[in-house]
Amino acid sequence: MTIGAVTEAPVSVDQPRTRRRSYGRYALGKSVGALGSLGFVLVVNFFLFRILPGDPGRNLGRGRMDSAEDLAAFNEAYGLDQALPQQFLTFVRGTLSGDLGTSLRYRVPVSDLLVDRMWPTLLLVGTATLLATLIGVWIGVIGAWNRGGRFDRFSTGGSLTLYSMPEWWLGLLLIATLAVGIGPIPGLFPTGGLSSPGVDATSLMGTFDVAWHLALPVTTLTLAYVADYSLIMRSSLLDEIGEDYLTTARAKGLRDVQVRNRHAVRNALLPTTTLVALNIGFVVTGAITVETVFSIPGLGLLSTEALEVPDYPVLQGAFLVASAAVIVANLAANLVYGVLDPRVRA
Amino acid sequence: MSNRSVVPGPLGGEMGRDLGGPRVVEPVKRVRARDAVLGVLEGFRAGQRRRGRRLIGRHGGQGIAVRLFAVFGVVLASLAPGLTLSPAGAAESDPVRFTVAYLNEVDSFNPFLGIEAESFEMWALMYDSLTGYTMADMAPEPSLATGWETSEDGLTWTYTLRDDVTWSDGEQFTSEDVSYTYGRILDGGPERTTWGSYLKGVTDVATPDDTTVVLTFDKVSSSMPLLPIPIIPEHVWSSISEDEVKSFGNEPTDGQPVVGSGAFRLVEGTAGGSTYRFEVNPDYWEGVPHIDEIVFRVYKSEDPAIQALIKGEVDFVEGISALQVKALQGRDGIEATNGDSPGFDEISFNAGSIDTKTGEPIGDPNPAVLDPAFRYALNFALDRDQIIDVAYQGAGQTGSTIIPPAYAGYRWEPPAEDAPTFDLEKAAQLLDEAGYTVGDDGFRTLPNGDPIGALRLYARTDSQTSLDVMEFFQEWLAQLDIDSEVRAFESNNLTKIILDGNFDAFEWGWYVEPDPTSMLSYMTCDQLGGWSDSWYCNEDYDALFDQQQSEVDLAAREAQVQQMQEMLYYDAPYLVTAYSSVGEAWRSDRFACLQQQPDPGGVYLIQYGVHNYVNMRPVAEADECAGDSGLTQAASESGDDGGITTGFLVGGGVVLLVLLGAGGVVAMRRRGTVGNRE
Repeated sequence: MTIGAVTEAPVSVDQPRTRRRSYGRYALGKSVGALGSLGFVLVVNFFLFRILPGDPGRNLGRGRMDSAEDLAAFNEAYGLDQALPQQFLTFVRGTLSGDLGTSLRYRVPVSDLLVDRMWPTLLLVGTATLLATLIGVWIGVIGAWNRGGRFDRFSTGGSLTLYSMPEWWLGLLLIATLAVGIGPIPGLFPTGGLSSPGVDATSLMGTFDVAWHLALPVTTLTLAYVADYSLIMRSSLLDEIGEDYLTTARAKGLRDVQVRNRHAVRNALLPTTTLVALNIGFVVTGAITVETVFSIPGLGLLSTEALEVPDYPVLQGAFLVASAAVIVANLAANLVYGVLDPRVRA
Repeated sequence: MSNRSVVPGPLGGEMGRDLGGPRVVEPVKRVRARDAVLGVLEGFRAGQRRRGRRLIGRHGGQGIAVRLFAVFGVVLASLAPGLTLSPAGAAESDPVRFTVAYLNEVDSFNPFLGIEAESFEMWALMYDSLTGYTMADMAPEPSLATGWETSEDGLTWTYTLRDDVTWSDGEQFTSEDVSYTYGRILDGGPERTTWGSYLKGVTDVATPDDTTVVLTFDKVSSSMPLLPIPIIPEHVWSSISEDEVKSFGNEPTDGQPVVGSGAFRLVEGTAGGSTYRFEVNPDYWEGVPHIDEIVFRVYKSEDPAIQALIKGEVDFVEGISALQVKALQGRDGIEATNGDSPGFDEISFNAGSIDTKTGEPIGDPNPAVLDPAFRYALNFALDRDQIIDVAYQGAGQTGSTIIPPAYAGYRWEPPAEDAPTFDLEKAAQLLDEAGYTVGDDGFRTLPNGDPIGALRLYARTDSQTSLDVMEFFQEWLAQLDIDSEVRAFESNNLTKIILDGNFDAFEWGWYVEPDPTSMLSYMTCDQLGGWSDSWYCNEDYDALFDQQQSEVDLAAREAQVQQMQEMLYYDAPYLVTAYSSVGEAWRSDRFACLQQQPDPGGVYLIQYGVHNYVNMRPVAEADECAGDSGLTQAASESGDDGGITTGFLVGGGVVLLVLLGAGGVVAMRRRGTVGNRE
């Protein structure tokens, strides 16, 4: 279910349809397709991680479960001794009833673990994506409108530089300067983590505390993402700039800003919308490098660490959530497209 | 008898140690930081210069006024909660908080489930056990038990318990709690996996009265009287069934601390989380600790943790690399050391991989490494000093046998004439004697004249040390006219290769417990196909292993263990390269009275037991440290307690200034017309 797939919808000219019915059918088709993808992901997740080398019992039990009986007891307790088809059935049955199993490493229900780790990731990546979209679009618009100008040259160069800079390195630079302090700059931000110990996260103070902790990681991610949006926005706006309707608008005596915002940008926004829709799906997959550098307990970190064990239930759960998010975001984009542009339903 | 996590495992400390992330170079930071600041200032000045012009525009003045008003409103609103935070000066009532940076998460607060060393530290803070470990040499010492005695035949052990211990919810601690805890372990399930080895051979746990526990054995256990099993409160755990325990988190709920008996109480934290907070137990039987709070923060990479220590956000960093220790040494107010940790790293050979069911050989070991004489000769082809200097950055000690020097009683030292020196001539001579002579092509051959071929030396991708050691080894083998190749594998892959017997040699390591039985067991025939990774099997060794397990007389047991090491040394399934160390750094300008374990030369945290948390003091009380030997006296200079509040205020201010600047630029741009640009 990619955005590209929407143009491949079957064309049936023979049946005359009302507009509403055809949208219903379109939506149904897309939804069924999305469900199919989800089912496929479910199956692939299970077998994919079991092909990986690695025996959880041996990895976790090195120096702990000294005898063969101890290892066997561990495997039995967590269902690892069953035949693969049996394990698969248990997994499918559990997942359908909302039970994602128990983490092999942390020994707590996977769903609890995922919920715990999801909100830091949502806050971090979500905020960064939002900021990057706003700033990126703005930079792209200004840059394209003043193509070749000082701002354009500076912003294009700058965003490309940030784009190609490793996120962890940028993060470390920010920590060394703004968190620890250097020369005349005092250390203003925490070096890592999501909140101060002992502060109630639900209070007003807690909210500010989290925002204070997230300032540097969000800045890092935003800087890294900005080029994505600014470059796309810039190029799609450049495509519009020579168009006749802009000349007409100017001839009407509109302000430059109005010409830009009401006419040019509106038409140039479509590719950016696609990008945003796609990226929203990836918000829950987390940002592994930034989560690592700033020690933010998010989903990205959780899944990379689960790979070491390998912690099958956690991997399955994390990938299921991530795939579901991408699939749902795509579905939403498809459905919105269907409304915005009836041609894709044809 | 594992009390702690294994260092070299895929999840162990090794990764932390070798995670050689690039370091930020000082001058780069400086230049960039200054430029950034100048840039912002420049932008501000530019904005101010143009403001006059923009005010002329229609509605412009009103827009700016509204915007400025809004911005100041936000500034005030955000500063207000900051100001209500404790002001930097009010130190009187501030709790003394000791903040530790870990590089690895706690995997479970349930003492029956976790595996990581960090988890053992948490349990030891939450729960006491019948016996503890001494600081000097990790020998058993009284804890919840004040003393113990054994019967003549060594089959009955009677422990006398303290009568002044209460659980943190007010209930009295009694022998019933002990028998309940041990009963759960003896019943099997996850409880037995973690602690069962300490109760091997126990047939009955009796409690004649509230302060007496009698253990009956069917076979003498040489690990007694050591009983480091955390005692859990029966009145809390009796509601948790055998099936529930395998996913029971044992975490604080509704702000209530976990009920325990230890010096501290867990008030905040979840398995795999990034912050764990403990409050002091004001009724602790050993005396109230001198700090009010311990906070553990998990840093997922080393550099930020070090930065946090320098800044003062954390007071202690655990498990850092030797390079970082070197960089931190000599800094004012920071003490950085590489503490000896009781573990070793080794080059292991394939001493004979077999199918454990049929006894038939499996895998494809080079015939040369199957020969003990060949393996032993290579013991002299290792320049261990250079390995320590280069691969270990100078931290750690050169290795010889599988029991590290920290356990002086059990340790066997090779005689001077066989000591593992770097002596290629001796190695060559031993190889010649064993029939591995240099052939026509300039390479050594097998005794039957066939070429040896290239030995496969396997390293681990997650450990640069491992790769460095193997590359050195390759060089020295070449000087002995033996061809070899080095390959690195991911730990999981290497484990499989080892179990399939498809290797000649690999590099890995083990952590060694105060009771040596676990480590010794990995070299027995019973462990073939299990934890044995060298496929070493020797009946005489196994006989000694059984003997030492049920030897009551400590001196006799030590002699047996030493004899086992001697066998291993000359059969050489392992060439022990190094005894590892753990890098630690802490703020000696804030805390004092920390002691190493073993003392001297050992580690400060993640010890056996939690003595340091109980005995440490704020630096102002440094002269009250108990005892003299080994306790660190620190310079006096108090830390900057107001850092967080100030940082919060100023940091918030900077964010708002940036937003304000950005808003200004946007506003300015919006008003422009074509004419302004062209």
